[in-house]
Amino acid sequence: MAGVENTGEAGATGGQEGPEASDGAYECNICLDQARDAVVSMCGHLFCWPCLHTWLETRRNNQVCPVCKAAISRDKVIPLYGRNSSNKDPRNQLPPRPPGQRTEPENQGTTFGGVNFGDTNFHMSFGIGAFPLGFFASTLNFGGERLNPHAGLQPGQQFHADDQMLSKLFLGLGIFCVIWILLA
Amino acid sequence: MRRLQKELLNLTTDPPPGVTVDPEEIGDNLSEWTVSVAGPASSLYEGETFRLNFRFSQKYPFDSPEVVFMRPNIPVHPHIYSNGHICLSILTDDWSPALSVASVCLSITSMLSSCKDKKRPPDDAFYVKTCNKNPKKTRWWYHDDTV
Repeated sequence: MAGVENTGEAGATGGQEGPEASDGAYECNICLDQARDAVVSMCGHLFCWPCLHTWLETRRNNQVCPVCKAAISRDKVIPLYGRNSSNKDPRNQLPPRPPGQRTEPENQGTTFGGVNFGDTNFHMSFGIGAFPLGFFASTLNFGGERLNPHAGLQPGQQFHADDQMLSKLFLGLGIFCVIWILLA
Repeated sequence: MRRLQKELLNLTTDPPPGVTVDPEEIGDNLSEWTVSVAGPASSLYEGETFRLNFRFSQKYPFDSPEVVFMRPNIPVHPHIYSNGHICLSILTDDWSPALSVASVCLSITSMLSSCKDKKRPPDDAFYVKTCNKNPKKTRWWYHDDTV
């Protein structure tokens, strides 16, 4: 009896759903209908966006997932786009769904040299007098490290030597500055 | 009110153990239901039957239903007052629109199951004299998860 009614409703509201659509797996957890303008929470629970939006507005200061009470917010839900959903204009639904979020993949060539920062820590520890020099060294170091991949299979020994020399040079400069500050 | 229709259909076709609902008793607008709950097996309430009154506001399911036990048979329980009001957090603060009549009935059944000592709440006489008719107007203080 229930099965017959369910398929009838799914056919009326959702269009061409397969027989598996009637088992409740794609029902909104709030209105218990086939989810319209579907969004899914980070905890994996499915809702109609209008239903979830109403709930979030009801409990503004305590936004939790209706099913599992995990933290939930407008920015933390993902809209689901089925193949046929583009036929209907979701913007006609109020309130509009939050947009999908795309993150660009990280490009190796343009990564920030933050990883190398550990190497230059030594230079940073001279205190106020040596700080600009340490910073300078770190910039140089950064350049050297970045060039390494382009050197191919043999990572340049020369860069290493340069590094060491620079390191000594700036260590000397740093000590000099510290002594100068102490004497002044 | 489509959701209430669905709930009523589910509750009549696939009710939780001990819960029965007679659709004939429920008016056409579905805003007030009477649900029977049997005292759970091997509990202090085995063999008893209680009737719960559910009232749904226009905002249901975003707003919790008003649920009270109906006279004459109100279970003697440390969280159930003699006027039928129930101290149960999901009926106010912890309500969620993913809960349903079935899940409220289940919670109440479990509350009855875990009861070790049939007695009224300590402040029963005072509360019943002073409370609002609507239990949702009471500022409940939920402090005991054991029963």
